[in-house]
Amino acid sequence: MTETRSPLVEMRDISKHFGGIQAVRDVSLDLYPGEVVGILGHNGAGKSCLMRVLSGAMAPSAGEIFVDGAKVAFTNPLDARHCGIETIYQTLALADHLDAPANLFLGRELKTRFGNLDDRRMAAEAKTVLKRLNPNFTNHTAPVASMSGGQRQVIAIARAIYFDVKILIMDEPTAALGPSETEMVAELITKLRAEGIGIFLVCHDMHDVFRLCDRVVVMNNGRKVGQHRIEEVTKDDVLSLIIRGELPADWTARNAA
Amino acid sequence: MTEIRNEARGNAFFLDLSAALRQRGDLLQRLSAVATLIALVIAFSMVNGTFLSTNNAMTILLQTAAIGLLGIGMTVVIITGGIDLSVGSVLALAGVTAGLLVKAGLPVSIGFAGGLIVGTLCGLVNGLVVTKLKIAPFIATLGMMLIARGIALQITGASPVSGLGDEFGRLGNGALFRIIAMQPNGFPRVVFAGIPYPAILLIVVAVAIAYLLHRRTTGRHVYAVGSNEEAARLSGVAVDRTKLFAYALSGFMAGLAGIVLMSRLVTAQPSEGVMSELDAIAAAVIGGASLMGGVGTISGTMIGAFIIGILRNGLNMGGVSAFIQQIVIGFVVIGAVWVDQLRHRKGS
Repeated sequence: MTETRSPLVEMRDISKHFGGIQAVRDVSLDLYPGEVVGILGHNGAGKSCLMRVLSGAMAPSAGEIFVDGAKVAFTNPLDARHCGIETIYQTLALADHLDAPANLFLGRELKTRFGNLDDRRMAAEAKTVLKRLNPNFTNHTAPVASMSGGQRQVIAIARAIYFDVKILIMDEPTAALGPSETEMVAELITKLRAEGIGIFLVCHDMHDVFRLCDRVVVMNNGRKVGQHRIEEVTKDDVLSLIIRGELPADWTARNAA
Repeated sequence: MTEIRNEARGNAFFLDLSAALRQRGDLLQRLSAVATLIALVIAFSMVNGTFLSTNNAMTILLQTAAIGLLGIGMTVVIITGGIDLSVGSVLALAGVTAGLLVKAGLPVSIGFAGGLIVGTLCGLVNGLVVTKLKIAPFIATLGMMLIARGIALQITGASPVSGLGDEFGRLGNGALFRIIAMQPNGFPRVVFAGIPYPAILLIVVAVAIAYLLHRRTTGRHVYAVGSNEEAARLSGVAVDRTKLFAYALSGFMAGLAGIVLMSRLVTAQPSEGVMSELDAIAAAVIGGASLMGGVGTISGTMIGAFIIGILRNGLNMGGVSAFIQQIVIGFVVIGAVWVDQLRHRKGS
């Protein structure tokens, strides 16, 4: 199976505490190419915190991160991006007063030979990638504040996949979306997986988790309480892990039966 | 299926329309500011015939130069979501520094450079206090306002530094294309007052900073930081460096305004520029900058500065007292922001 290949990313014994509060405790995690790993747990379980460590937005208190076997230390989100780690944040992290191309290229602007912003090229590139995600996307020059939730989500996704992405972190990408847009995101995840991109999917929707993920990792109180291939577990098993932090007493692997 | 597609197309059309209306709204606001400016010019020229003369136009340019320079720096800071209350005091400190250096026997160019360096340093300190000590810009720059003014008064003994020589006054009093004819009686007569150097400086600086804001990465990041600081950080924008740049630029502009004003007076006045930070904020806000950050343009601020400059000049020529002038400008600031808010309420 995939385990014979080397992992895209490996997090070893990651801990993060804020003063006396331990948000993440000794969590180890790996991700293989073309794999979707669901990160589950109720609010405050430490999953967003763990993902922020991987995306470079937060420095871990302890632990190591390896990308393609090489040890890395991220001091800011740009470091993580250089390693091919892109993040779609739950808040989308868009600058409301800027238009779609400006947001798409924020922090990585395209420039002309003289170092000026190449707005024309950024607009053309943005148009292409946005059109691929949503053919109805036309108002590229309006500030993103005036756009619908779906359109804003499309910009956030486009920003992650436009660049050379190897590892994609999606923090509740469908939480604010309608059914057809959720379907678009699901299709996209399937397509990216086929291209060999590894995806961490932070998600609350059991239906989506069982439809899209290859593996699930469940967190409870900052600890990793379970890691299973999706064929091994049922929705009830996962819910038990999320709520009680352990599997039902009489648990046997679903696919072993 | 076709129905859905039509609906989608309808939606797209509607979104296009709303985007167009929004842009029209921006244009309308800009036009209303320009219209105010033109209305002021017409009103004042009807009251006083000499208002519209070339010489008075040059005077207005000169008087607006200081507000304009301060306003440009202020606009950049306001776009990042901050505020700089120290510019009036930094203006005085920079001008006084230049005056004292020249008084000490250094060449005028070195004196001016010293003033600009002191201004920029004050701005840098503001930026460091805001980004490293994480003190709110209002408080940080309020502190600098007192500190810079105090230093300016202390090093001069609170008295003006005069006797600085003609060379010191050239920047503030000289003009390009000044035509002077010799009269038969031996006295010179000014045919054309020329374009004052401060006005040229203002235009050059305005164009340079507008270019920086709209065509350079730094400018893009200034808007991004003010629009959503966390998003900018997560996108890899160097937020602290961007803010530091904004405050340093504002300090530099204050220094520039300081040497222009002191040169104009050929005297270094430690009490110069009191309350001029409020003129600069008013110019930026009348020009459409939002104190919430993310919004503002140099062209808007220039219009705002000229509205204030022309109001002052016209009211002065009409013999209106300085107290009434304050009242009028106060109403204009509130009115401009109110109109701006009406526009946004309609937009959302």
